[in-house]
Amino acid sequence: RRIEKLCEYYWAPFKSDCEELLGRFQQTESVRYEGFSAIWREMDFSGVFFGTQSDHEKRYFTRLIFTIAYRYILPPYSFQIRVGGLYMIYGLYNTQLIWPKEKIRIALKDWYDVQKLIADAKSCQHLDVVYIFKRLLSSKAFCFTAMPQKLTFEGRERVQHNVNEEFRDHKNRVTELASIEMLEEIANMHGHYERLKKSSVPPSSGVTLLNLTYLVQKCAFEYQQWQDKIASSSRAVMLAAIKSKSYGHVSKGTKSRRHRQVEMVTPGSGTDQALFSQKRRPPSLRTRTWQNFGKPSEPEQTQEWLLSVMEEDKNALKRKDIRRFKWRNNWL
Amino acid sequence: MGMTPLAAIIISLQAKLTVKTTLPTNLSAKQEHAGGWGRCTVQLSSLGGDSVPKKLVTIEEEEEHCSRLRANVVSRLVMADSSALICEENQHENVPVYEFMDVNSKEFHIGAFRDLWLDVLNPKVYSYSDTAPEIEDVEFIEEMGIESKTLEELKSICSVDSLRSGHEGTDNVPSDLHLSTLKLRKRRQDYKETLTRYTVDRHEVYANEMEMTSVGKKPDDLRDLIPEGEIILTFNIMYPILFRRFKFVRAYQTLHVLGSQKLSDLRDAICCVSDLQVFGEFSNTPDMVPQFISKDHYKSAFFFFNGTFFNDTRFPECQDISMTTQEWTRTRDFPEFKTAKMEDTSFYDLKMKVGFPYLYTHQGDCEHVVILTDVRFVHQNDCLDIKLYPLITHKHRVVTRKCSVCHLYISRWITTSDALAPTDPCLFCDQCFRMFHYDDKGNKLGDFLAYAYVDPGTFN
Repeated sequence: RRIEKLCEYYWAPFKSDCEELLGRFQQTESVRYEGFSAIWREMDFSGVFFGTQSDHEKRYFTRLIFTIAYRYILPPYSFQIRVGGLYMIYGLYNTQLIWPKEKIRIALKDWYDVQKLIADAKSCQHLDVVYIFKRLLSSKAFCFTAMPQKLTFEGRERVQHNVNEEFRDHKNRVTELASIEMLEEIANMHGHYERLKKSSVPPSSGVTLLNLTYLVQKCAFEYQQWQDKIASSSRAVMLAAIKSKSYGHVSKGTKSRRHRQVEMVTPGSGTDQALFSQKRRPPSLRTRTWQNFGKPSEPEQTQEWLLSVMEEDKNALKRKDIRRFKWRNNWL
Repeated sequence: MGMTPLAAIIISLQAKLTVKTTLPTNLSAKQEHAGGWGRCTVQLSSLGGDSVPKKLVTIEEEEEHCSRLRANVVSRLVMADSSALICEENQHENVPVYEFMDVNSKEFHIGAFRDLWLDVLNPKVYSYSDTAPEIEDVEFIEEMGIESKTLEELKSICSVDSLRSGHEGTDNVPSDLHLSTLKLRKRRQDYKETLTRYTVDRHEVYANEMEMTSVGKKPDDLRDLIPEGEIILTFNIMYPILFRRFKFVRAYQTLHVLGSQKLSDLRDAICCVSDLQVFGEFSNTPDMVPQFISKDHYKSAFFFFNGTFFNDTRFPECQDISMTTQEWTRTRDFPEFKTAKMEDTSFYDLKMKVGFPYLYTHQGDCEHVVILTDVRFVHQNDCLDIKLYPLITHKHRVVTRKCSVCHLYISRWITTSDALAPTDPCLFCDQCFRMFHYDDKGNKLGDFLAYAYVDPGTFN
């Protein structure tokens, strides 16, 4: 139990490692596994497991990092990040150091999302994505569950999983609304309405008809133009471009526009404070008495006596500084 | 114009019009992800070409209905972008989602949940045997429409070797630190080296021992193999300790049960010390200790899940002990509770919330909090012997109380109002008890009351 609580301190550092890995992957602007594994090797990511002595701790740690990495496969992250998350899970599953291997828990509600991801990848012929997923399935890496984690109704510090805004998927909502199917439906209904009206009501009614299909289309088109004008590199367009580059078309050139630095949300000092409350011991009775009744600015004049030690031995009275290990070093 | 004709049209047209809404795959988008939104596609099945429905009463009404429908559809299209509209299909009420984030899930029917999974999974994915790699390769080639040499290329790119680290030794943190995780671990390792004395936590060494003994066990008889696609439920049953000392550590035992097993199987597997208590005052007759234990005498028990009391009615001695609670609730402002039989209900029939505390009561008043922590499919690496279920994987160790006199033997007697004993109550082992309280001829010395004591640590 104690080990489990201690392992939770690894949450923040591991999350920042994940985000660094995925951030670099995002910069490659592709979803090819080659690119991912190159970054993995460069960062020596399989080393996250190194250095733990006890099996018990290894197991809890592995479970924890699976929980963290699992989030990146699900919405609201963009397609590229989700694929990166899948590769990351594949990597972590295969480089874990315990046996029997810890499984990747996947909940039913998330399974639908994952299936959709794989279906998208299939339709764009991303062979490596599909292959990796199939490898995970066939090596029985998944454990099909109800909820993503075991829920024990224990009071734990609830750590927020803050979604990294850089990784979020930006859907082009207007085009989704005014999609081909939608416009067809509207046209169909409009036509039907017209027919009914003609057959039933004499045509001398003074109602001007709105051509809704045309209006919606026009709006969407205007929006698109405005969007293109505002940002020459529209995020959604870029994401769609990444998605469509299928396996086998490895483009070498980097886009010249892509020079902006990826700003990472560092969960170091700022969020760390917010996530974990600081624990300080309440002041002792002696301190409080001195503060309330004595002169708080001056040091205390009390002299301590220890009869078993010589008077000249000043060090004996000094309380040995019991250094506890500070897990959360805010200037790390 | 009356309401009835219009209503008649609407009802008749409802049969022809199906407004189907598709749920976004992240159902509780509002809850879980800040940026979630619902997408609604409205599909109207055609009204059969140009023909006007037969049950039309007046033309104006038909037109009114059509325009109303059109306005409805348009407003839905407009609203589709906002996150307010989330419609549910009937099957989705059994997809488990969080009721409170990271605390517990909403209620769902376990059998239906299993069926939902089985609908979307290829049986090979949860079977115990592995498909031959050659067959997998062929299937992949066919599915993706590629050539075999592309597959070979894929295999070499995506192999596990691509993930290998440069370092060989995994026991120590490598020297070139880049990952924050490793930096933290290195700091911890350095700190540990500064300690003059590092005690290895004994509990840590044996923590998973119980679980590990049963992992991967296959039965000798294949009929005892758990069928593929079975659900395993994990229950944490808390010990009924109410002392202040135990507020920080909740002692519990963990049991794994199969979905097809009955609630009575779970009941039988729970080890509670109150089952072993022996009643009666034996100071006058220390040699005659009756051979019955509470477990045999008071057999009634019940589970309380989601508003239903599941009673144990297997034996004629069992009474419905939930009746007292139910009668009490009827006098207050509580919803009506249902009763059911424990031995007739299997876990597949239940509707449960994961992570939510429930109740198990036996012996009349010994109450245990029961939490369902996990519901999952059985895996190749689990214990596959059906005879071993319900399986205990974790049991909190309780310190055994030794005799106050010798501190060597486990105590068997507890005395109260004892003039000879230092404390009230006081524990004795059998030998010390007899030597202390009775003389050579077996006469009772002094005034005391003695009861048989069963130590809570008997299950260690």
